[in-house]
Amino acid sequence: MIFRKISGGLSLFFFTITCFSQTENMVRRDTVSSDLRTSYNSSLIYPGIRVGIEFPVYFVCVKKNFDSEVPKIISKGRFISMNAGWYHQTNFHDNLYFTAEWTMRRTKENGFFTEFSSGFGCSRTFLGATTYETDNTGGVDIIKSAGYKYAMIIVGGGLGYDFSKKKEIPLSIFYKFEMMGMFPYNSTLYFRPAMELGIIYKPINFIPFLIKTRVKTK
Amino acid sequence: MKYFINSFIAISLLFTSCQKEKITIGTGVSESFYVVNNGASMRVLVEGNTSSSEFILCVHGGPGTSAYFYNTDYIKHNLGDKYALVFWDERNAGASQGNSNGKNLTLIQMTDDLKKVIQVLKYRYGQSSEIFLLGYSFGGLLTSSFMTTDDNQIMVDGWIFADGSQNYPLNDSLTRQMLLTYGQQQIALNKNQAKWKEIVSWCNLHTGNFSFDESSQLEDYAEAAETYFDEVTKVDYLKLFGSDAIKDNWPLTSILVNYLYSSAAEINKDIAKVEFSSLLYKVSVPVLILFGQYDFVCPKGLGDDLFNKISTTDKKIVISPISGHDIMLQDEVLFCNEIDEFVRIHRLIPI
Repeated sequence: MIFRKISGGLSLFFFTITCFSQTENMVRRDTVSSDLRTSYNSSLIYPGIRVGIEFPVYFVCVKKNFDSEVPKIISKGRFISMNAGWYHQTNFHDNLYFTAEWTMRRTKENGFFTEFSSGFGCSRTFLGATTYETDNTGGVDIIKSAGYKYAMIIVGGGLGYDFSKKKEIPLSIFYKFEMMGMFPYNSTLYFRPAMELGIIYKPINFIPFLIKTRVKTK
Repeated sequence: MKYFINSFIAISLLFTSCQKEKITIGTGVSESFYVVNNGASMRVLVEGNTSSSEFILCVHGGPGTSAYFYNTDYIKHNLGDKYALVFWDERNAGASQGNSNGKNLTLIQMTDDLKKVIQVLKYRYGQSSEIFLLGYSFGGLLTSSFMTTDDNQIMVDGWIFADGSQNYPLNDSLTRQMLLTYGQQQIALNKNQAKWKEIVSWCNLHTGNFSFDESSQLEDYAEAAETYFDEVTKVDYLKLFGSDAIKDNWPLTSILVNYLYSSAAEINKDIAKVEFSSLLYKVSVPVLILFGQYDFVCPKGLGDDLFNKISTTDKKIVISPISGHDIMLQDEVLFCNEIDEFVRIHRLIPI
């Protein structure tokens, strides 16, 4: 009885959505270039830098109010990015890290976009000062390149502006807040908030991919 | 691929330039190094006057807090101008780093860590360097372990014991007794009655042979109790540490996650039953004992126990009338003056 009520409710819900949105879908295939991104990546006052490549996976182009004179067009891009980063914190450590991230970007017609990304990676720290090791006889040695390897997770969200939408300049600027996690760090999870301010360059025909673009008309 | 590997090696070499050995003999020194031991890389910060050849090595509380908190401007200017101050972050604390090393977080391992830190200090600044150990709170237990293990004490020239504990079961009994005594007085004086009544009734119900949970509850009451007295100096910790955090490059999230991990680690249960009172007879180096009158966390009775049990005749106990558990912050004048005098008297190297 309950199941019947639920399934009945769900059918009504989907029927309503279908009727009112009157969505039309169209899928096309485009050759899309990969993007290059670079940013200043800072945790409060500690400097850092990130560089990466964004590979397009697919796009969804949503056209709203298609019947009106000024339809709204929103582009939703999905990317896989490969990044290398570094930050320095005096007397603590330098960290060189590599991440693979899934990025979701929603760009409005006027060029403003929001994005969210999450990923994983690995890192190698270099301790921020001379590191010594002693043996049982009291002898002391310096360890070269002392540091640790950690697994990493990273999540972030931010906003930006895509100049290519209005002026055909193949650049975007963005600001992003990120949280990095490294483990096992002293048997626990080390996390590090960071601010990222950077640019995305969209070269023509740079590592192009033939990808699907679904056009939705609402 | 070859280009990528070469680039990685080049970048790695660039980063390791921070690890180039830097040893400064002079005044106004501020330099760090790390000591690696059994899965942990422990940060050591040396500040002040290294040309004095006298090193006051701070062994912090916790387990899991950080030596960063001792490095206040007042201490820097009133001790650091004369001596070198050494701020050691114990394993799984402060800026200390490592991978999966939680199983090594034991008192025995930390005692060995302390020995190695001293060995490296002497390696860097000369074998004739004089080391004065300063153990605070849990650092009191750790330095007690160090001083009574093997012949470790020959590595140090003096032992300063500040608001510390060398005997956790005795610590619990003394805390309970102090809470009861002061609690009953305060209730009679009609001061913070509701809070003291709760504490006194709890103490009346829990009379001894404390479980770990009971010890933790006692510590919570003890930390709160000193705040009920107007005589105790109030410290604005946020104001005190706020500027230092930026100036001294505190790794804030490392301090936080290390504290959260260590304060919940198994070591806390292990040390709850540990005592060194029975081994203190071994201690023959000069000892300075500093306690706060209103320290309920580590009551001054622990100082009396230490004072009476050590063999050395060169010993002094000083009680601050305006201090609770943080004597170095609540009565920094007394703290610095007493340590200054102690080191000055016991230094082997003439000025």
